[in-house]
Amino acid sequence: MHRPAARLDRPPRFDRPNPVAFLATVLALGFLVVSLQGVGFSASTFVAGLPQMGRFAAGLFPPSTDRLEPVLWALLETFQMAVAGTALGILLSLPFGVLAARRLSPHPSVEIAARGLISLFRTVPDLIWALFFVVTVGLGPFAGTLALIVDTIGFCGRFFAEAMEEADRGPQEALTALGARPAAVIACAVFPAALPSMIATGLFSLEKATRSSVVLGLVGAGGIGMELEVALTFFNYQEAATIILCIFVLVLVVEQASSLLRRRIIT
Amino acid sequence: MPHGVAALANHTLANTPLATDIVVEGLEKRFGDGPPVLRGIDLSVRRGETVALIGANGAGKSTLMRCLLHLVKPDAGEVVLFGVRLNGVRQREVRRVRNRVGFVFQRHNLVPRLSALANVLHGALGRSPFGALHRSLSPAALRDEAMACLDRVGLAHLARQRADTLSGGQSQRVAIARALMQRPEMLLADEPVASLDPAAGEEVMDLFTSLARQEGLTLVFTTHNMSHALTYAQRIVGLRDGRIALDRPTTDGLASELAQIFA
Repeated sequence: MHRPAARLDRPPRFDRPNPVAFLATVLALGFLVVSLQGVGFSASTFVAGLPQMGRFAAGLFPPSTDRLEPVLWALLETFQMAVAGTALGILLSLPFGVLAARRLSPHPSVEIAARGLISLFRTVPDLIWALFFVVTVGLGPFAGTLALIVDTIGFCGRFFAEAMEEADRGPQEALTALGARPAAVIACAVFPAALPSMIATGLFSLEKATRSSVVLGLVGAGGIGMELEVALTFFNYQEAATIILCIFVLVLVVEQASSLLRRRIIT
Repeated sequence: MPHGVAALANHTLANTPLATDIVVEGLEKRFGDGPPVLRGIDLSVRRGETVALIGANGAGKSTLMRCLLHLVKPDAGEVVLFGVRLNGVRQREVRRVRNRVGFVFQRHNLVPRLSALANVLHGALGRSPFGALHRSLSPAALRDEAMACLDRVGLAHLARQRADTLSGGQSQRVAIARALMQRPEMLLADEPVASLDPAAGEEVMDLFTSLARQEGLTLVFTTHNMSHALTYAQRIVGLRDGRIALDRPTTDGLASELAQIFA
């Protein structure tokens, strides 16, 4: 005979919030409101300024093509800086990543030192690194490239270390068991496992370096940023518009190519 | 009279015939605050012997196998492989000993993104003076040898296929080829067929034992499969709660005793 199922306690649709989590959420929202007031956020000020924005934007058009050739050469230099800085930065990030990876570092003190250095590279803005290298090697793209190398190590070093830490330990144990040296285990088991993640990080780094290399020119570290700074200083907004459009196309092409490569390589 | 670990090693070496590949005495291991996994294991394996190590889950089989190569460091006791006492020797010496032993894992532990051939080539890493540069520099002679190893396990035609596209049985065969590439004197296999279907499992066990016989290799494998232990091993060692509860030559009337190990 069919017996009706005993009535079970029905759990609530939503769990009661944890008091600490609730308090933290309220405090976070409160801080957001204070922050908006702190930065003087005002929709009315923004709306009132829209006509000025319109006048400025109108001044950008039509973009001037008078100096298109030197602008394109500067754009090429910018891209060269990004490629050279990223490639060398990625190469240097590999040993930094190994030394900063918890299970691969030869000693905890080495791991802490490597992580500290990577953090320093990441924390100091690339503009400051560019100034530092302009003072060291003089104005021009070499200083910008050095700044991008340091910035890339700060970005890739951390993610490479994490990718290597997450690599499957089985193949590493197998190679250790057959008498391989630690360096061989890293080269033959850790790197291949971490490769997809490292390629993705490297490509993101190239995108980031392309955008950064534009800004680095503002402090004299070479590339199209120097052209942009000169155009803005002399209120040559139509030429500035050309430069901005060129930068936009370059960044767009690099991002699209990077996405395509990521999809094709990481399988 | 000498005492302690050194004395134990001297005693072991003095009382062990030369044709003994593995000598284990008083081996103990515990992970963290947990119960002991190995409690005073004594074991010796003669050269060319095929030994099945059986026991229920958690009996300590895998830990014992890893302790044999110091992949897991024992808390106490001695491991002597090929007459080399592993406690206290330099890492370089440990690596030399490891290179003489082919270790096959349950999950085969191949590098997934690399080809079967590249994985087999890894077997030569222990003897390559170039270490990490070995793979890119692997000369033609090394690749020929790796192809020959793949051929012995019947997979030469899959040499360029990525390891992560192989079936479980094929992967385990590549792992065996990698072990053969070491030119080993001993094979250790930790539940080598546990993740395979019965037919593939039989094939891999046949391959293992026939290779060991052809080369005169010492073979120690762990298994839950009593039939495999009885069919392929000359001797069966049963572990229960970290202790050796049975150590007998394989005979017909052993099945009921084996069942007790899993009880």
